[in-house]
Amino acid sequence: MKGRRRPRLSFVWLQACSGCEISLLNSGERLPDLLNKVEIVYFPLLMDRKCGGEGEFDLPEADVGFVSGSVSSDEHLTLLYALRRRCRTLVSFGTCATHGGIPALRNRWSAEATLETVFPGTPGQPALPAEVPALLDRVYSVDEKVRVDFCLPGCPPHPEAIAAVIETLVTGERPRLPGKSVCETCPTIRTGEMHRTVRRFLNNAEYNSEEPVERMRCLLEQGLLCMGPVTVGGCGGPATPLCVQARVPCRGCYGPVRSEGNQLLDMLNVLASHGVDHRSIVDRQSLLRFSGAHGLLRSVRKTEGVVLMSEKGNKKPS
Amino acid sequence: MKKDPLIIAFCCNWCSYAAADLAGVSRLQYPGSIRIIRVMCSGMVHPDMVLHALQKGADGVMIAGCHLGECHYIRGNEIALARAEILVETLEDLGWESDRLQIVHVSSSESERLVQAFCDMHKRLAALDQTDFAAVEADE
Repeated sequence: MKGRRRPRLSFVWLQACSGCEISLLNSGERLPDLLNKVEIVYFPLLMDRKCGGEGEFDLPEADVGFVSGSVSSDEHLTLLYALRRRCRTLVSFGTCATHGGIPALRNRWSAEATLETVFPGTPGQPALPAEVPALLDRVYSVDEKVRVDFCLPGCPPHPEAIAAVIETLVTGERPRLPGKSVCETCPTIRTGEMHRTVRRFLNNAEYNSEEPVERMRCLLEQGLLCMGPVTVGGCGGPATPLCVQARVPCRGCYGPVRSEGNQLLDMLNVLASHGVDHRSIVDRQSLLRFSGAHGLLRSVRKTEGVVLMSEKGNKKPS
Repeated sequence: MKKDPLIIAFCCNWCSYAAADLAGVSRLQYPGSIRIIRVMCSGMVHPDMVLHALQKGADGVMIAGCHLGECHYIRGNEIALARAEILVETLEDLGWESDRLQIVHVSSSESERLVQAFCDMHKRLAALDQTDFAAVEADE
């Protein structure tokens, strides 16, 4: 490695849980090799390096920047702009960054209703601690705010996939990710006969625990709301998708198959075109639990959603 | 400002497109802002296509198929109907009025019925956009 500078990586998190970073650290034997090939210049989870705050961030220059988490406050936005300026290639890392992820669930309510619920104060005046930055009107994915060069979805992305993506990116090439749905790598038995209604997620699938997963009936056909058909694959690497391995239906955490797809609409379409009663889904908007950014989840205008939230905020003793 | 509502009409090859053809031959009049797209079956109109049309600026989308039970592909129009039901709900979620989608069933000889559906939809959308515009003005 002498004479040639090692590619510099920078990891930034916005509204995130650090799961994506932990997943990278979980890539086992590949990790030491990987760390020898690159130089990490900024990584709040691993190393202590202060880069400002108070309105401006002074991030180090990097070749590849990884950003995990969704953009939901002014501070996130400033940090994201700073990272975009300081790196040549920007990767949105994890489903929060690519499609909004779990934080984007708050897009079902206005920012005001969210604050009033989380920090109940007097009506219309939430009791905000001083360190809470101003929330954006809704939660955005990274690509809604800055130019993104590569999207690596997953909640979290598969460790092998992360390592492979980094190794490819530092050579200057563009990595390839699976472009087909979870069902493509799912080995369960499909007969074409669908259960007519959707059962609650808490119900167990029918299977024999002595037998391998290949002998289990397709979970969607059993009436469990498996998001496999509308979710991009890759969670199990080349093996069986992770949730199906655990005999539970896919939650949809890798986001839609086409990056601009709508998991809610596509899933309802799957059910409708197979004659399943879509009204048996209790909370259909939760099908966008991992991909609520890009304006897909919106605050409900007339139904009880908004009212319930603000009522809850108001009822607490102030 | 009034604008002519743009309507995308997906018509199935076997019944409603033939009806539209007949409407043309019989010189029936319907609004010129209706764009007919021929599809082999109304059941092949994926909800994404409807959403795409609206996102690209169409004011309304119509799906025209054969009468129930008379589908050339046996149950394609039932699938179209089920898809329309989920679309109506999802459109509301996404901020569109569910009135912007209309499904009609016409046989190949019922050109008047198709033209009537076109005119009704056109009138309804014009009224809808009028109220939208009024609401925006009131807000300002």
